[in-house]
Amino acid sequence: MAHTRSRAGTGILTAAALLVVTGCGGSAISDTGSDSDGPLKIGLIVPLTGPVSSTGKALRNAFELGVEKVNEDGGVNGADVEFVVVDDGGDPATSTQLARRLVQREKVSMLFGTITGDTAEAVTKVADDAKVPFGTAILGDTGQCHPYAWGFGESTRQLLTPTIPALLEKYGKRVAVVGSDYNFPHYYLRVAKEQVKRAGGSVVAEEFSPIGQTDWQPVIKRLKAAKPDVLLAMVVGSDAVSFSQQAKQFGLLSPQLGYDGAPLDSDYYPALNALVNGRTHTVRWTDRLDDPDSRAFVADYRKAYKFKGPMPEVAGNAYFGIQFFLAAAEKAESADGEAINTEIGRLTFDSPLGENTRFAAANHILQADMFQATIKPGGAYEVSRELGRVADTTPMPGCS
Amino acid sequence: MDVLLAILTLFGLYGLTTLGMAVIFAATRVVNLAQGDLIMVGAYTAAVLTGPAFGWRVTLALVASAPLLLLIERLLLRRPLADGLATMLVTWGVGMALRQAAELWFTSTSRSVDAPVGGTVTVLGTPYPAYRLVCGLIAVAVIGLVLLAAYRTDWGLTLRAVADNPAMAALLGTDPRRLRTIAFILGGLLAVLAGALYSPLLAVNPTMGFGLLVPVFFGLLLSRPGALGTAAGAALAIAALSVLLRTWLTDVLAEVFFYLIVVAVAALRSRPWIRRYMSWLTRVRVPARAS
Repeated sequence: MAHTRSRAGTGILTAAALLVVTGCGGSAISDTGSDSDGPLKIGLIVPLTGPVSSTGKALRNAFELGVEKVNEDGGVNGADVEFVVVDDGGDPATSTQLARRLVQREKVSMLFGTITGDTAEAVTKVADDAKVPFGTAILGDTGQCHPYAWGFGESTRQLLTPTIPALLEKYGKRVAVVGSDYNFPHYYLRVAKEQVKRAGGSVVAEEFSPIGQTDWQPVIKRLKAAKPDVLLAMVVGSDAVSFSQQAKQFGLLSPQLGYDGAPLDSDYYPALNALVNGRTHTVRWTDRLDDPDSRAFVADYRKAYKFKGPMPEVAGNAYFGIQFFLAAAEKAESADGEAINTEIGRLTFDSPLGENTRFAAANHILQADMFQATIKPGGAYEVSRELGRVADTTPMPGCS
Repeated sequence: MDVLLAILTLFGLYGLTTLGMAVIFAATRVVNLAQGDLIMVGAYTAAVLTGPAFGWRVTLALVASAPLLLLIERLLLRRPLADGLATMLVTWGVGMALRQAAELWFTSTSRSVDAPVGGTVTVLGTPYPAYRLVCGLIAVAVIGLVLLAAYRTDWGLTLRAVADNPAMAALLGTDPRRLRTIAFILGGLLAVLAGALYSPLLAVNPTMGFGLLVPVFFGLLLSRPGALGTAAGAALAIAALSVLLRTWLTDVLAEVFFYLIVVAVAALRSRPWIRRYMSWLTRVRVPARAS
């Protein structure tokens, strides 16, 4: 009797463990457009639920305002632009399914969105197969180029080229890198190594940890033992918060240590404020940018969504990025994805992201401006230095 | 020493949650899939109520969660109790509802909680963040008290009797329904306490408890149903294994080995000859203890 019960108990436990290990993916579709062939239709794939949903929602909000602005100015080819928003929950399998559904059933002419690198990669494959352009707004790339994928966030090189020499000059030459264990942080380390070497420094420690880490003590101990002058952290999501907090508690994160990376993004400011105040951070866009279009967007966003904190960079990239895409569609004079894609590659566009911004043919990286922001108490990411156009034309496999 | 302190801190978190789950499992045969989300409830209480001192916030988290747990048990878990799988799914639903409610009220942006005790203390020559030590010690003390209650009080005897044979326990005059309610509240409160206590070390967000469920399940899987001591022991083993592997290997490799080892141990335990050997051990020990 005891044997049977214990076996049943083990069965239930195993089922429970499996349920938790495999997670619970979900998707939802909310249609705000129509399925007629006439007007241009965009499919927006964002995580509205799950661990990165706050960034996903910021992207969606800014995207909606961007489309609204284009429609107020007359739409594209004389008709209002429509869009469909879907929630991938940050799960790449769901992203693939939804992207296919948007292309096949909703007949969208372009795709936009995603936050994490794995979901972007999933949608990229569908976009390449379906020959529809796909735009992302999040920073960083993984060193791969795809014919139909275009990123409005800064590339890894655009991010690190101005950051590393400045940090090395101010804090010292020994650099440690810590990251979440997925494709983008690994590529970030590769580029960081190149840049550190060029600036005369050395990478003294490199650590990767699976996403969702609770206890950072072993990682922090190893980083501390390497005695770094600068710490580059590409730990994302809630790990950015728990890592920074624990690094502070273990005495690693001191004012003498240079610190930059994802935890300094404005997304995490509400949780990390005291830890990042006074530090500098390299960005493509901040809500404190002194530009009339940017200021108008910030005011609209804050009013429309009753948002008070520092606005995530992804919002600015998405707002001006979708306008870039729609300008290309206007030029293509067609809702055909392939025609729009060709125009995206040719277009030069003025926005607060830079004058005459355009994509480099060799890597599909947006050649745009960068800024150094100083984080002030209260979450103001004030522009402390205009870095101008930071070029990244390094050829990448897939396009060059 | 560093490693021992790390094990202590992690054991506190895993131990409280696993023990809570084991108490609920012992009394109800239900795997509480909302246990991780109860950690989140505790952590949010500590993060949101910024006015009172940290100790009061932890107390408030416990006081406010008790009626919530009572409601969940009375309204949702009573009827499907006959079917373990159905009840487990109900707890899954409760967890989802708690996560969604937290996302709705507090958004999914992570929050942080300031540690009430700053600075470091030196333990046998090793400097260690004071609050990590404090919360590890409090957690171990609470785990000790729960085990003491389970093995040295009438309530504990009843709990173990119900865990062993609910029908017989009911025939002998124990009210299993009352016991189940108390066990669910106590088990849930242990998770709430873990969340509130450890909130200064973690990023507080609606999905924070979800990731903690995996080690807790492994702990429960390796323990014997009804034997709370083995649940605490398993949690200690899981915490030690995790810390040791991560000390010797990189985090990525350590995670692979961690899963491999836990799954191998669970698979080996179910082999008939090992099971028989372990049951002999138990049988020999029982009369020895009684004499």
